[in-house]
Amino acid sequence: MGYFLFFLLAALTVGAVLAMIISKNQAYNALFLILAFACLGGIFALLEAPFIAVVQIIIYAGAIMVLFIFVIMMINVRYGIPAEKKKWTIYLSIVLAVVLIIELILSIKGAFTLPVSTAIIKAGPTDLGRLLFTKYLYPFEITSILIIAALVGAIVLIKKKEKK
Amino acid sequence: MNNFFALSPILVVVLGALLVLLLDVFLKKENKNYLAYISLIFLVICAFVCIRFWNKNYSYFNGNLFLDNLALFFIFILVLATGFVILLSMKYITFQDVNYGEFYALLLLALSGVAIMLSSIDLLIIFLGLEVLSICSYALAGLKRKDEKSSEAAIKYFLLGSFATAFLVYGLALLYGSSHSTSISSIINFFITESELSIMALIGLALVIIGFGFKIAVVPFHMWTPDVYQGAPTPITAFFSVVPKAVGFIVFLRLFVPYWKNALNTQAIFWILWVICVLTMVVGNLVALRQTNLKRILAYSSIAHAGYLLIAVLAQDNSSLVFYLTVYLFMNIGAFAAVIALSRKGKEYLELEDYAGVGFKYPWIGVTFSIFLLSLAGFPPTGGFLAKFYVFSTAVREGLLPLVIIGVLASLISVFYYLRIIVYMYMREPAREIEIAVENPALFLVLFFCLYGVIQLGIYPRNILVLINQAVSSFF
Repeated sequence: MGYFLFFLLAALTVGAVLAMIISKNQAYNALFLILAFACLGGIFALLEAPFIAVVQIIIYAGAIMVLFIFVIMMINVRYGIPAEKKKWTIYLSIVLAVVLIIELILSIKGAFTLPVSTAIIKAGPTDLGRLLFTKYLYPFEITSILIIAALVGAIVLIKKKEKK
Repeated sequence: MNNFFALSPILVVVLGALLVLLLDVFLKKENKNYLAYISLIFLVICAFVCIRFWNKNYSYFNGNLFLDNLALFFIFILVLATGFVILLSMKYITFQDVNYGEFYALLLLALSGVAIMLSSIDLLIIFLGLEVLSICSYALAGLKRKDEKSSEAAIKYFLLGSFATAFLVYGLALLYGSSHSTSISSIINFFITESELSIMALIGLALVIIGFGFKIAVVPFHMWTPDVYQGAPTPITAFFSVVPKAVGFIVFLRLFVPYWKNALNTQAIFWILWVICVLTMVVGNLVALRQTNLKRILAYSSIAHAGYLLIAVLAQDNSSLVFYLTVYLFMNIGAFAAVIALSRKGKEYLELEDYAGVGFKYPWIGVTFSIFLLSLAGFPPTGGFLAKFYVFSTAVREGLLPLVIIGVLASLISVFYYLRIIVYMYMREPAREIEIAVENPALFLVLFFCLYGVIQLGIYPRNILVLINQAVSSFF
């Protein structure tokens, strides 16, 4: 059952990413990316990491993708990159792809030689919450200042201009 | 000593910001100046707390928050800088149509980020503090909303700043991956015990340099500086030129001085910083020669000063670095105060041409501005001379002679563009009439304080040097 689900999700992820690259419409691209993220979340759930699975879906598929779609709809780009610029992006992506392949080969090689750790650390939301309010209380509190600063900054910049 | 009151400098500033935000709703537009007074009261309380905590070494949150003398000294100095900026803004924001109560709140929040960064030796917390400071800075840069340049500055600062943040986080991740800790002392320990060169940790350290190099505006990460400095409201430019720079250098001090003293493989990082230092001094000064906008000249001059400060970091010279930063605060804010003085409702005079004849027409502004410029160039008997002298002389003792020679040559170049402003003020016939609002007591107060600071530090620096020595001898 586990294997079946894994291969199903993996195939769906790869398929969604491929469809995202091939499709010309930017809104579809974003939607396919959401599908890919959701499938990745499923794979995390299979690995017994429910928290990461949920966060993956909430943050990536939820928050970040909504932002993407907003931006796409707002700037309304119909046509992709012009042809002469596209050449450059293709060359650049070939180079980056080669780097990525080398990296993958190295890490897979390393993964087989490493001893398999028997003690599986189960980090659920409880542990995370406990850490957040004990060891990382101070950084957690600083984040609240950060959010106030961001809110105040955003509001003052978009506030309605006064009429003369 | 574990004590809840260690939080108080940060809490006071944040409370001040929140109170300003709350009162802003109830105040009429004409009465917004009260917000400035409230902010100043909270700054005074914060400064008072810093003085009371001297030598007490309070800490909280398992040492994540640690108020050593170095932190206290710099929180005090930067509270002073923020106070100056607020005094400078009181008239300015009504003149230039940026009269929002949030202005002061954002400044205070930025200061709280500064206090967080200064009082921690954990890179995770330093990073969060830096983000608080940066996010406030992005908004402050764009506050002149009707001015396209200001919006451009905000966007540019935001995009490049986010990029720099990404570098910093990546570097932190690599450092954490290799040393299993985000605390500076554990990272240094890792570098001491690791006899072999750990490429991952070194790349992490280099990325951290890039991240902070952006904040302190060193070449080649300086591209944003002139545009942002020019576009932002002028008091905010004064803030940018002093506060993030000082904080960045204190983090460098906490990170690199023990690293150089203890770690085994330091060559790579040393030479990276060496090259950055030379580039910063040379490029900063050479490009400044061709500028005609006062804010751009001061922007490039602040880049060049980052170069001199890096010499002190490379020479492991803590006390000169701290002294230089202190002097730099007074002379740079003073120079910006003089620039702000030449403005009236709806108009700022920022071109070099506008300064022709100012020296005789407004003698007070002319004289003080000239003294600040001479101090920036490093003439005795001002503080700028002593600061450069200390940095260069210890660098020679540490065997960094080539660096010092380049530094001296670079500051000789800088004399040209500083003196050119003075020449314009005193020896040129005014090409066009300028008219400024003279009644601005808060601004003259700042001019006076900065003048006092520059002269006092130049003639009789003993008291402050004693304090600085107490501050740097105690840190971790």
